[in-house]
Amino acid sequence: MSAGFGKRLLVVWLALCAITIVSLIVGSLEGRAAHVPNAAITSSAIGIALVKVRIIFREFMEVRHAPVSLCRLTDAWVLLTAVSLLGVYFLGMAFRMDAG
Amino acid sequence: MMNAAGAGSPQHGVDVRPVSKHSEKSEAYVPGQPDMWAFVLFESFLFTGYFLVYMVCRTQSPELFLRSQAELDLRIGTFNTLVLLTSSWTMARCVKAAREGSFPSASTNAFLTMLFGFVFLVSKVSEWAQEIRKGFGFSSNEFFSFYYFLTAIHFLHLLIGFVVLGVVVHQLSSPARRSQELIETGATYWHTIDFLWVIIFSLLYVMR
Amino acid sequence: MIGSVAEPEPEARAGSLLRRIVWHWCHDPKRELWFAWWMMVVFYNLYGLLFFVVARVQPPPDPGWDVPTVVQWFTDHHLGVLSGFAIIFLVTGFIVPTNALLAYSMRRMSVSRAFAYSYLIIYSLAAVPGMLLTCIALTVGSIRPDRDPALIHWLYDFAFMAFDGTMGVFLIGSLVWMAAVLLDENRVFPKWFGYLNLCNALTEVVVAPAWIFKRGAFAWDGEIAWWINMVVFVIYTIVFISLLRRMIEREDFGTGPLPNLPTDDADAEARDPSGSMAMAR
Repeated sequence: MSAGFGKRLLVVWLALCAITIVSLIVGSLEGRAAHVPNAAITSSAIGIALVKVRIIFREFMEVRHAPVSLCRLTDAWVLLTAVSLLGVYFLGMAFRMDAG
Repeated sequence: MMNAAGAGSPQHGVDVRPVSKHSEKSEAYVPGQPDMWAFVLFESFLFTGYFLVYMVCRTQSPELFLRSQAELDLRIGTFNTLVLLTSSWTMARCVKAAREGSFPSASTNAFLTMLFGFVFLVSKVSEWAQEIRKGFGFSSNEFFSFYYFLTAIHFLHLLIGFVVLGVVVHQLSSPARRSQELIETGATYWHTIDFLWVIIFSLLYVMR
Repeated sequence: MIGSVAEPEPEARAGSLLRRIVWHWCHDPKRELWFAWWMMVVFYNLYGLLFFVVARVQPPPDPGWDVPTVVQWFTDHHLGVLSGFAIIFLVTGFIVPTNALLAYSMRRMSVSRAFAYSYLIIYSLAAVPGMLLTCIALTVGSIRPDRDPALIHWLYDFAFMAFDGTMGVFLIGSLVWMAAVLLDENRVFPKWFGYLNLCNALTEVVVAPAWIFKRGAFAWDGEIAWWINMVVFVIYTIVFISLLRRMIEREDFGTGPLPNLPTDDADAEARDPSGSMAMAR
């Protein structure tokens, strides 16, 4: 394997693993027994996940080298998923709080 | 098997696509069959649908979901994620090696991908066994219904992934067969298993 | 140009719609294929209309209802169920040319005929639990409104479990078609359609929890077990009806690769005059 490619893939993998460890830390914050919804943790969790997904698309799945239409499609899906999941979460939480 | 739709692609693995050593200089290309990308995007939208239903149900009973989520082990989830990320790495290395003609290296990476996939499989099954022993089954409560559903449907995709990896290994094993397009198509499928898990992990294990 | 289908004779295109239909009926070598295709279109439209609008049994009602509510549902749907399903029983036979056309598509492929025959057998049987048992159970429940409520509740459960729960045959059928499409070298269908069959097959698996849950997203009326599945199924049906139409248009009654339509070749030429993209793939 040519050194250039091998190195880039290695760096990407290490970065993804590091980001995963960050998720582990974020998910363990304030104790698992808190049993309280936490918007900051949720937003970070979902945000981090979708950053990882985009990296996987661009680097591992080679969307970086793909025609623009594929780049746009995958980015659009990532954005749609992030916005809809967070949107449902915040709306759902707000509705619950109003209901008491 | 799985020839390109419409075009008369070569039966034997000579890839005439202009790919240079430095990817920045090559033309834009779609890795693998565009057909597989259509599948990947369709499944992704489908899973987004499942995730949204989960999220709606979660916001309606947050205490139940949080209490039940505490029964899951975040470290196992993290381990699963790291294993799949590593399998994606070896799969990407396999594709690059095959593209450069280093087929022994590509084969090794393909087998490593299978190995990591198998580690995930064993880990997931033992996690399920552990939860069941603690008394949490598919119909225990709403959270666990979603937990088993999302992990099981993902697991099913993983099993199909082993078939796909089998095709990739078969392609790599003989000079008569090596179709770069098929190898990339298989890789595209495998990475999908990985990124879907990344989201499932954040929704089931991490979020509050 | 890759071997194109023969241009239809001048009489085929001349004159009023009725004259053209009569010409095709008498002379078109593909008339049986077109007949089967039209029967399929008519059937699926009737199916949608009768189940969703006339009988109103889809979207499915709640599995968690108590006996009096279920009896009330039968009363409210009495006329729709009896009239709608009376027609369904008459037009069930339309499924025959539909399945035959699907099996024909597999016969045209380069794969073994076992695929076509397996599919035909599976789908011929599938209509019994997948549709007819439901119609019979609901009709029986409706025909005597003064029947014991417990029996009516039984028929209700039986009908909807038969419809939503017996997905195994459809699952295997989809996988057979998927395998045939992916292995085919005659290019009858694009490879993405093979993968779409896999998507459809997976949604059949997703329905399985309906046997366990009476409430929530996994019940027979749930967001996941029914609604999302129905979206996938409708897309899948529209896609295969369109692809079968294209197959018939391209059909040359040979055994080799199915030729492209002249319009497809023209489009490809326009997009890439030098042919370099075709070469690169």
